[in-house]
Amino acid sequence: MSPPADRAAAVSAKLVALRDEFDASFALPLRRHDDNQDELLTIRAGGRAYALRLSQTSGLFPDRPVTPLPGPLPALLGVAGFGGAITPVYDLAALLGHPVPNRPRWLVLAAGTPPLALAFHDLDGHVRVRSGAIVAEAQTGAGCVRGMVTLPGGTRPIVDVTAARAVVHRLAGQHRGDAAPHPTDVKERT
Amino acid sequence: MMARRTFGTKLAGGFGLTVVLTLLMGAASVAALNVAVHTKDKVISTATQGVTGAHRLATLAERRIGDYRAYLLNGSQQYLDLTNADRAQFLQEVAGLRTVLTDPTALALLDRAAAAEAEHAAALAPVIERRKTLTSLRNIAELNAAAVGPKRQQLEQAIAALVARTRTDVEAARKASSRTATQAIVVVCVLGVLAIASAALIAVRLSRGLRREVGAAVGHIQSSSAQLEAAAAQQASGGRDQASAMNEITTTISELLITSRQIADSAGRVSKIAEETLDAAQGGDATIDQTRQSIAAIRTQVDQIVQHMLALGEKSQQIGGIADLVSELAEQTNILAINATIEASGAGEWGRRFAVVAEEIRKLADRTAGSAKEIRALIEDVRGAVNTTVMATEIGAKAVDAGARQFDDATNSFRRIVQLVATTNESTREIELSTKQQTTAVEQVNVAASDTARVTRETEVSAVQTRQTASHLSSLSGELLDLVGTGRR
Repeated sequence: MSPPADRAAAVSAKLVALRDEFDASFALPLRRHDDNQDELLTIRAGGRAYALRLSQTSGLFPDRPVTPLPGPLPALLGVAGFGGAITPVYDLAALLGHPVPNRPRWLVLAAGTPPLALAFHDLDGHVRVRSGAIVAEAQTGAGCVRGMVTLPGGTRPIVDVTAARAVVHRLAGQHRGDAAPHPTDVKERT
Repeated sequence: MMARRTFGTKLAGGFGLTVVLTLLMGAASVAALNVAVHTKDKVISTATQGVTGAHRLATLAERRIGDYRAYLLNGSQQYLDLTNADRAQFLQEVAGLRTVLTDPTALALLDRAAAAEAEHAAALAPVIERRKTLTSLRNIAELNAAAVGPKRQQLEQAIAALVARTRTDVEAARKASSRTATQAIVVVCVLGVLAIASAALIAVRLSRGLRREVGAAVGHIQSSSAQLEAAAAQQASGGRDQASAMNEITTTISELLITSRQIADSAGRVSKIAEETLDAAQGGDATIDQTRQSIAAIRTQVDQIVQHMLALGEKSQQIGGIADLVSELAEQTNILAINATIEASGAGEWGRRFAVVAEEIRKLADRTAGSAKEIRALIEDVRGAVNTTVMATEIGAKAVDAGARQFDDATNSFRRIVQLVATTNESTREIELSTKQQTTAVEQVNVAASDTARVTRETEVSAVQTRQTASHLSSLSGELLDLVGTGRR
């Protein structure tokens, strides 16, 4: 058989498998995610692979218009509107210390207040990993990275959104006390 | 200049010179004879007229003496008349002699004779008168004629002196004329000797020239005869070689004749083939037109294929756009699923169930995105294939155009071939005709070569004869050299 015919047969078989899987999903019992699993976003910032804890975010947005602001901070890309609120947008790659000139496409809204959006260049996907696959790290230090996770594509450092917020606050010149978590801040889920 | 003159000219010159000398000698002889005759005539005339006149004077004086003596004797008037007549005749003779004589001495003697006669007449006259009166001879003494006698003697002496003088003159003139004649004889003899000497000299010179020039010429003739003999021998051998060569030529020409006829036959066959080729070429012209139409149809089909392929590419582009749309939708679904998961994580137990659904949605979105990506890749493949096909088709179209142009060239070439075939046909016919003419010409050449061979044999024979003639001429030259006295060289 010729390659196009093989490809058509493969597509037909895939279609049938998908349909069967979809149909079979209705027959499965209700299930829920286990507690010992973490939801991660695999991203790329400045050409490097990272992971974000989905629980530390409150939304993912592509291609949002960002209004630039004049200022001395190169990491501050500008402001964007989310749900009627003006949110500053920082370049995650700049915060991680390896800025690149091209503009990031994706924005992730950090959980907690004040509103903060981190911009990164590429979204690799959404993965769920067991908690044991994550090598935790102490919540101290000046950087944004807290821990590592082993994934099929390789081991990625995990960007801690809270630490990134602290870095942003330091850059913005706010007092450390001002950087205390807001009472309404969502607690980090495990 | 003499060397360049021919021997005939020299001979004519020598003879001419001899003739001139002979004529000169003859003229001189004639002149000498003329002079001698003239002087002798003069001598004779002097002798006849002078001496005879003198003698006649003596005779006339004697006759008058006799007559007047007769008168004195008989007193007859007749004798007196005769006496007077004699005197008149004497005087007339004296006058005649005066014109004849040239010698002054003789003339003086004549004058003296005339004077003596006059004195004699004067002495006689009274005597005669007295006689007239006398009637008888008894009285003779009365005549008193004593004075006449001395006068008569003086007259006779004077006449005798004149006669003697004229005789002396005649003798002197005879001697003078004899001398003149002798001088003329000497002159004639000298001229004759000169003529003989010059003739001998000319004869000697001519003989020497004859020996020298004729000898040299005959020597040349002899050497030329030898050369001619050698050349004739060479010509004879050359004639033999030429005769054998001519035989070979005749044989070759016969073979050439056969070949020429074969060429004529071949040319005829080629002409037929050329005519058939021309017919086939004219039939091929229609095939060319059909092929041209087929090529035009192929070109149209190729254009349509290109249009269809371009339309296919455009449709593929549209499908790609739709696939992009699906991909975009899948991405948005994925984002929504992620956001739903985020929202669900804060919604407690129900949120966890919803998270499962959101994950399923996200998986579907991932699969959709993967399928859209595959579609996109397939569309890219299709577009690449379309582009490749369009390029190949355009290359094919260009190839078809090039083929059409080449076919046009080929058509032009073919038509030129048709024209050339027609020209070849005509040329072949001309070749056939020319070859036939050539065959005829070769036949004529064959005849001419046979004639030439015959002539060559005759030439050989004549060369042999020439050699013999040259040999004979050589011997004749030797004999001629002997004749002219040069001798054989």
